[in-house]
Amino acid sequence: MSEVIVVTSGKGGVGKTTTTANLGTGLAAAGHKVVLVDADIGLRNLDVVMGLENRIVYDITNVTDGQIPYKKALIKDKRYDGLYLLPAAQTKDKTAVSPEQMRELCDELRQEFEYVIIDCPAGIEQGFKNAIAGADRAVVVTTPEVSAVRDADRIIGLLEANELREPKLIVNRLRYNMVKAGDMMSIDDIIDILAIELLGVVPEDEMVVITTNRGETVVQDDKSRSGQAYRNIVRRIKGEQVPLMDLQEGGFLTRLRKFMGLK
Amino acid sequence: MDSLIKNPDRQANGGEDTIGDENTILIKRTLRSGQRLHYDGNVVVMGDVNPGAEIVASGNVIIMGQLRGVVHAGASGNEKAIVMSFRLAPTQLRIANHITRPPDGDSPETGHPEIASIKNGVVTIEPFHASADRQHR
Ligand SMILES: Nc1ncnc2c1ncn2[C@@H]1O[C@H](COP(=O)(O)OP(=O)(O)O)[C@@H](O)[C@H]1O
Ligand SMILES: [Mg+2]
Repeated sequence: MSEVIVVTSGKGGVGKTTTTANLGTGLAAAGHKVVLVDADIGLRNLDVVMGLENRIVYDITNVTDGQIPYKKALIKDKRYDGLYLLPAAQTKDKTAVSPEQMRELCDELRQEFEYVIIDCPAGIEQGFKNAIAGADRAVVVTTPEVSAVRDADRIIGLLEANELREPKLIVNRLRYNMVKAGDMMSIDDIIDILAIELLGVVPEDEMVVITTNRGETVVQDDKSRSGQAYRNIVRRIKGEQVPLMDLQEGGFLTRLRKFMGLK
Repeated sequence: MDSLIKNPDRQANGGEDTIGDENTILIKRTLRSGQRLHYDGNVVVMGDVNPGAEIVASGNVIIMGQLRGVVHAGASGNEKAIVMSFRLAPTQLRIANHITRPPDGDSPETGHPEIASIKNGVVTIEPFHASADRQHR
């Protein structure tokens, strides 16, 4: 059984590319065959985050134009045998691919891979419509900021209208101390508005930046909290029941609840 | 409810305490940011109206959830229109040609439904008690 999962957000810079790279790497580390598709055409950077930029010869538009079979454009990951990247075009714009072409591509990829993970561009325009066209499931990434949550809400509405029901939420860059001080939206505040299932919470962590700069992913880093958060999310994607109340994430969730109760 | 069934005439004529002779639409989901509903009649939402969502209705608006977006009831000038919700925390609330917004800062959760209507020319928000409400209308 294979799944096509699109990673969306609405607002830019909240962590879609980081999430795509970490989910893909985490699933590959668990032994799955995975392809990451960079659908952020014109602003490609999944290849940079994966540390694969210098290997690109062909891109997604060469495939959708029918110039080459997709296998020729795939780039194999440095570390995991089952992990591949289909890079975006840097020089073209979002109209270079159509939703119909995207759907065909996803159906071809799902013959070969267990997980197809699509990195969606920001916004609600054509690039977004292309990216979601071939997906079975959607993940919505937000940061605990009012504007990001507002855009996530808009995206959830659009996903639902496009028959991508029950999208799952990842809250990225949460800063416990700020939430505690009442200076940042809490998980409860966010879920109260978005009312969708929480897939996981990734803390603000400089290890994300450090690993990204090395072309690595934090999910491979055993010691970091964000790496643990991504590993938990990977297991939940696979259908495992991993409670939010475990050592890493639960610790602060219970504290948060207490804090909320005091108000 | 009972009285409506027993007095079909009143329902048809739209007496003071019935919903009127306008159409009513039932929305069985949450209205999310960027979603708008314009309706000539009453609107009932089984869900929330999120920030960035908007309802404009010529009649009453009843939200079986939280109101955090923008609602305009009585949009074609009906000053008797009401807005009701389990939590009234709108971005902006309009009834007929009155426009209000809640005071800045967090609006507290009251734990009971609230109703907004025009009283003495101003939009007034009160807790909704079924019996009391029937008395003063
Ligand atoms: N949990 C995190 N902690 C710290 N920095 C993060 C975290 N997640 C993402 N970032 C940083 O935020 C920036 C934007 O992330 P990115 O994944 O490129 O967002 P998007 O693809 O949504 O535009 C990047 O510099 C990334 O390293
Ligand atoms: Mg990106």
